[in-house]
Amino acid sequence: MNEPSETTTGRARFALGPQRGDVGERELVFDVYDLSVSYGGVQAVRDVTLPIRVREITALIGPSGCGKTTVLRCLNRMNDLIDGVRIEGQVRYHGVDLYHRGVDPVEVRRRIGMVFQKPNPFPKSVFENVAFGPRIAGFKGDMGALVEESLRKAALWDEVKDKLKDSAMTLSGGQQQRLCIARAIAVEPDVILMDEPCSALDPIATARIEDLMRELVADYTIVIVTHNMQQAARVSDRTAFFTVDVDEAGHRTGTVVEYDQTEVVFTNPRDKRTEDYVTGRFG
Amino acid sequence: MPRVHFHEDLEALELDVLGMGELAERAVERAVGTLVSRDEAEAAAVIAGDDEVDERYMSIEERTFQVMALQTPVASDLRLLSVVLHSNLHLERIGDMAVNIAKISSSVRDLPPSGVILAHIQEMSDVVRPMIRTAMEAFRLRDLNLCLRLPEMDDPVDRLNIGMYQEVAALASDPETLNWGLRMLLVARQLERVGDHAVDIGEQVGFLLTGEFREFTDASHPVHLAPDG
Repeated sequence: MNEPSETTTGRARFALGPQRGDVGERELVFDVYDLSVSYGGVQAVRDVTLPIRVREITALIGPSGCGKTTVLRCLNRMNDLIDGVRIEGQVRYHGVDLYHRGVDPVEVRRRIGMVFQKPNPFPKSVFENVAFGPRIAGFKGDMGALVEESLRKAALWDEVKDKLKDSAMTLSGGQQQRLCIARAIAVEPDVILMDEPCSALDPIATARIEDLMRELVADYTIVIVTHNMQQAARVSDRTAFFTVDVDEAGHRTGTVVEYDQTEVVFTNPRDKRTEDYVTGRFG
Repeated sequence: MPRVHFHEDLEALELDVLGMGELAERAVERAVGTLVSRDEAEAAAVIAGDDEVDERYMSIEERTFQVMALQTPVASDLRLLSVVLHSNLHLERIGDMAVNIAKISSSVRDLPPSGVILAHIQEMSDVVRPMIRTAMEAFRLRDLNLCLRLPEMDDPVDRLNIGMYQEVAALASDPETLNWGLRMLLVARQLERVGDHAVDIGEQVGFLLTGEFREFTDASHPVHLAPDG
């Protein structure tokens, strides 16, 4: 892979690049290059290079502690919120250095939404959960129409259209997770990051979310962290396999071993460590 | 946790396919032997022995299907199961061809043979049986070069099969021997197919080892891929 060009300087040039829909087929949304992350001086992730393409689902897989969630959180600067974190290397988003001082992290998180492992709706009505983000962002249009559109895109509208005023907490786990996806969609993001979005859900709710992801990828770029390898195989276009190196002092550092089309990773991986992991030949 | 039981199941399936290879090869050897020995009991034993091949075939099919359904194999495990399924079918077909030869052998017991044609049939058998062994060894040893030797080994089989027509035509003046010879055309055809099945198994093993499907020979473009060295 070519080394990225020098970081662009000057605040005026730090608009976050094109909005969703403006980019061409298979352009890079993220160009993660030589990314290393340390917490309190201890390196958690080393030398991660990961080009992430537009309107594809990219899955990050690997054993616990391999740094896949750390990398995911770097993609919308969620790690900024952690004391003692040090991020080296580059994360370019539509060609812009995401970590340049001129970039507004709030705008980053609007463009790059996140869905977490455990559904975390606000203790408010279904409607308010979806309307909250756009309202904070100053949305002045038809909020009812925006909420409906977001819920429809999240494949939840038919189930909640008659209880928009009910508390989101009355929904099932799977419905709550789709509500969180609707909430992320409502602020018109470009990218949706998902951190094990189905690990708290039953197989039926999981299948619904997976189907939904395949529908959403027509409009959004999705990056998913999953422990479920079959889920990565079922839904993603590309898969990055992370592993953990343990040094003599016992420090564990995550690295990317292999990054390829998902069908390659699951039928004919190039690296023996990937092969051993996906086939269950690991100790 | 390593998937110990799953991988033990895979090893057992592989061993059974290798066992199928031995059974199929032995059946071809015995069936061709009855053309010379004219031993009716031996021909009947070859035919009866195919039940064991069929039982193994069914068992391997069922267990492979179960493993695929229950263990969601991927990568080399998935490719291994593909090889197991395909090779199992090829070997079962070879077993059936041995039965066909044994049946033909019984039907020509009272007809006068041609020594030249019998020698050529034996020659074909002496090539295709090592081809089955080579395919099985390539599988067992995960040896791509062995796989790539199979098309070359198959060449004399095809040549002998084609030459068989002229040899049978030369029997035209002797109706009884001609009658025997026409049945030998069918035997030669069976042996030629056995060789093709061995090549196909080699292609499957090649897929296991490289992750790429490649036909070693193409009927319309008969150029062989060469082994290293």
